Amino acid sequence: MTVSAHEGEKPKARSRFKLDVRTLGPAAALILLCIVGFALNPAFLSEGNVINLLTRSAFIGIIAIGATFVITAGGIDLSVGSMAAVIAGVMIIAMNSAVESMGTGVPTILLGCGLSLILGIGAGWLNGVMTTRGKIEAFIVTLGTMGIYRSLVTYFANGGTLALDFDIRNTYRPVYYDSFFGLPVPVWVFAVVAIAGWVLLNRTAFGRYCMAIGSNEAVARYSAINVDRVKTMTYVIQGLCVSLATIIYVPRLGSASSTTGVLWELEAIAAVIIGGTILKGGYGRIGGTVIGALILTAIGNILNLTDIISNYLNGAMQGVIIIAAVWLQRGDFSRFRRAKK
Amino acid sequence: MSDRTAGADSVLAAERVSKSFGEVPVLFSVDFDVRAGEVHALVGENGAGKSTLMKILSGLEQPTSGTLRLDGEAQALPADGKSEALGIVVIHQELNLAEHLTVSESIFLGRELSRYGFLDRKAMRTEALRILDLLHVQIDPDARIESLPVADKQMVEIAKAISRDARILVMDEPTAVLSQTESEALFEQIERLRAKGVAIVFISHKLDEVKRLADRVTVLRDGQLIATVDAADLTADAIAQMMVGRELSNLYPPKKEPDVDAPVVLSVRGLRAGKSKHDISFDLKRGEILGFSGLIGSGRTAALEAVVGLEPMFAGEVKYDGVPTRFANIKAAVQAGIVYMTKDRKGKGLLLNTGLTPNLTLLTLWDHVKGGFLNRNSEEDAMDKSVRRFDIRARDDSVNVGQLSGGNQQKLLLGKVMEANPRVIIIDEPTRGIDVGTKQQIYHIVAALAAEGASVIVISSEMQEIIGLCHRVLVMRDGRITGMLEGTEIAEGEIMRYAAGLKENEVHDRLSA
Amino acid sequence: MNLSRTLGAVALGGLMAVSGAAVAQDEQITIGVSIPTPTHAWASGMNWHAEQAAARIEATYPNIDIVLVTSPDPSAQASALEDLVSVHQIDALVVLPFESEPLTDPVLNVKNSGAFITVVDRGLSQPGIEDVYVAGNNPQLGQASAEYFKTRLGDGDNIVILRGIPTVIDTERFDAFMAEIEGSGINVLDDEHANWNRDDGFEVMQDFLSRFPDIDGVWAQDDDIAIGVVEALRQAGREDEMFVVGGAGMKEIIRGIMDGDELIPIDVLYPPAMIATAMDVTVQKFVSNGPVEGRYILGATVVTQENAANFYFPDSPF
Repeated sequence: MTVSAHEGEKPKARSRFKLDVRTLGPAAALILLCIVGFALNPAFLSEGNVINLLTRSAFIGIIAIGATFVITAGGIDLSVGSMAAVIAGVMIIAMNSAVESMGTGVPTILLGCGLSLILGIGAGWLNGVMTTRGKIEAFIVTLGTMGIYRSLVTYFANGGTLALDFDIRNTYRPVYYDSFFGLPVPVWVFAVVAIAGWVLLNRTAFGRYCMAIGSNEAVARYSAINVDRVKTMTYVIQGLCVSLATIIYVPRLGSASSTTGVLWELEAIAAVIIGGTILKGGYGRIGGTVIGALILTAIGNILNLTDIISNYLNGAMQGVIIIAAVWLQRGDFSRFRRAKK
Repeated sequence: MSDRTAGADSVLAAERVSKSFGEVPVLFSVDFDVRAGEVHALVGENGAGKSTLMKILSGLEQPTSGTLRLDGEAQALPADGKSEALGIVVIHQELNLAEHLTVSESIFLGRELSRYGFLDRKAMRTEALRILDLLHVQIDPDARIESLPVADKQMVEIAKAISRDARILVMDEPTAVLSQTESEALFEQIERLRAKGVAIVFISHKLDEVKRLADRVTVLRDGQLIATVDAADLTADAIAQMMVGRELSNLYPPKKEPDVDAPVVLSVRGLRAGKSKHDISFDLKRGEILGFSGLIGSGRTAALEAVVGLEPMFAGEVKYDGVPTRFANIKAAVQAGIVYMTKDRKGKGLLLNTGLTPNLTLLTLWDHVKGGFLNRNSEEDAMDKSVRRFDIRARDDSVNVGQLSGGNQQKLLLGKVMEANPRVIIIDEPTRGIDVGTKQQIYHIVAALAAEGASVIVISSEMQEIIGLCHRVLVMRDGRITGMLEGTEIAEGEIMRYAAGLKENEVHDRLSA
Repeated sequence: MNLSRTLGAVALGGLMAVSGAAVAQDEQITIGVSIPTPTHAWASGMNWHAEQAAARIEATYPNIDIVLVTSPDPSAQASALEDLVSVHQIDALVVLPFESEPLTDPVLNVKNSGAFITVVDRGLSQPGIEDVYVAGNNPQLGQASAEYFKTRLGDGDNIVILRGIPTVIDTERFDAFMAEIEGSGINVLDDEHANWNRDDGFEVMQDFLSRFPDIDGVWAQDDDIAIGVVEALRQAGREDEMFVVGGAGMKEIIRGIMDGDELIPIDVLYPPAMIATAMDVTVQKFVSNGPVEGRYILGATVVTQENAANFYFPDSPF
């Protein structure tokens, strides 16, 4: 409606730091969850528990930041959980077999990490190329690679568990367990990935292109955007994030098995959606994704800290909270009021 | 002359209806009524409140104040399509068809014919065929909607409405995407329905249609009722003046012919693209506005999309400034200074759920990258400039493009391609679905661009636009250029003869003119 | 397991032994072994033990041929059973059914072909089909664990429990544990599901540690969970305050017990090697004159430093 506009006048500029209801909603849900958690058990806000919670959310959080790009550009990646498992498995095998030639020191670990990065980027690129060049739906491509990676790790582990050599583990252990200015290393990695992701999505042409493609691929194509390349890049970023998450995951328990990373893909997608990114693409929020990952981890944590809810109902509680968080995030309560009227 | 009282014979009437969205009023105490057996045209610029009034008349929106009378009885219309049961059928501007259904399924959607509890496909098919025949269109009732050209989709919508035995039919710009012949078939049907006593509300920007079809005309401007008059009492010009509230004598700017010896900027030879089996060749001179006329589906869009690298080019040669060039993709074309402005503003041109600035800078985002990061200030500056240059009007900066009127969207799209500082501008259907005032603005912008030395190609199915704007006109038919017209040759009858295949000249001989 | 059913099966088995004619030594015998494709560590241990047993049996008895097939899901296993009958014409079947219900009929069909049936671990939904049933003892696993806790802890001591995936197996173990611990004065602070998974064991234990300042023992019920628990204890620096008891018999845990690990001092067996037991019993049907039919419920043996060497298989994946 242009009734009240004046000719040729610049529209009122929006404040840069305008309160964004889509980010506020999940933040409110997280604060509410913290209050409930504290009320149920004051230990929830103890320093130790908060640090546990942050560290734990790092895996899903880092993967979810990658997923934010994929989903913003209108794609989906179901393979991240099994990708993490197979990368962890290959890292362990490689590091174990490098013990003889390279010893149990830092070089072996750097070898493992380097391998992880290569595998993550390669696996992401493969997903990307098959969806863009191969013109196969992302859902199908990544469903396929999900099955492939999952059975590869089962195969590598002979159905059992791959365990990292004890001495390498002692060298590698600090990457998960040590702290740096009071926060564990995984939390720092999470923070750095989140900030880098935010800048990439909101302050670069690439991020703008992701949103444009997710919003309307035809418009993006007519706007001289190399749609295939940008989409492939989102999967590469996703693969990179998975490999970073794996690098900090392996030292935690020093093992990988066919149950490693099961359902991480759904948790990552849930974190992204809780955070306000739209599942069908076109709109992404890194800050929301971080909050989404924290919410998901906090739910499990709170359920472990109390016994008022039957263990058998944990899944139901998680479901209720996820739906409620998304409802808060949409923030469109006016529709309800209108409906009532 | 103006008839403000709802007469006894009015089927549907709105009395002193007002509507506000939030705090923004869009309709101010408007009276409107439609009688059985009349066509009542509703005209006004984009944003004048036509669509809102139409939604109120069909129950999709409830008025903030005022009364609706159906057959003289004051009543609130049920929301969301349920008023179809009362005989009020709406054909929306945004086509409301499920892309995966077949034509006959679409026509009978929601009131399927059944026999023994099963769908009676055969009966529905036969009936669909009968209605489509009435409309003189050849559409396969079993074709999927997604496979149809947009004009056929429109005809399906109309067939759907006709099949519903509407007592009151509201049509929002039904001819915006129809060709002349298709429009004629539609008018025939409208007249038939009128004769049967159906009350028809007809919203259109095409004033010649309004003049031809309507019994009465209601003009809205800025949400106010300007007048309701008998169509016979007014000329199209007079209606247009009421709509914009100012003199419209100069809809088209004066033509300033390019120099005879102006260099050829873009030269195309033997181009083959899209589904066409024929070659096309043409030249574009500096400062020239070259029109591509022809019927919808004559291959104009496919050919020019191939030139700029949006579609594959199967054969042919493109010379840009005399240098043989083939643009691998649209980015290469844009960087060389050739832009293409799509006719599908909503599907391919603009991100509707995004703000104005990201849309404006999307094509040329690389200009706003500094040290790897986006420079928001430079984007804002570009937006400020475009708002001034193209007179883009938005309530405030927070609105999404989808909420803008069609005219403002079109100006934003023009601003977007102009961000590339192009030397060659290809505009496909420059004024589809926009109001007279904005049309005039766009024509003047295009003329000014040419005067400044840019070269413009205009693809248009609106004959008047081609005639009023272009220095030279190529007419296409079935993937071939069948005629070329210059100067005083450019006239409606001549173009039509080439477009319909009644006449053909050897274009290639004249190319080097 | 209820006693009367056990007896019934033994009695039935006895009858069958009388009717079953002893097979001559020189006749060629084919035994089919059908198990699920390993997707977790315990199953892969079982797979390894099945292969070991097959090699050993074939070496000992030249006239016995073992056909080992693994299947990724219940319907594939049903097809595999049909193939064993039609292609390999087996004389006996050792089967660890994926699920009870969908495989009852296929096993019955094998039985109707005249083959001797041995069922392992998961029983069929219809009694009387199998000649031999070999299984671990879930309630005893819970009970034996609880008995150990009673020897180490007393009135007023606190323990936490990490459970598996919510299934019958988990419930049997848990209920038996709770029944045994009752009246001992040991407080069970809370129990949470850790899904027989290291990551979940780690996270659940972290949360128990934040929540309870005083814990004296952890029943992890499973060796994978126990490994996660131990990492959480190390991270919190509280590994000296309590001990952990797992279950199943993972080689790394057995190794630790042999070496005198104080954090995980014992283990309770739910041995994947039960498949080897079942195969050996089945072979005896053809080589021994003694009756073999009946139910073999393996004891939930408590592994201590003294006997650990007997249960250590360094080459097994589990």
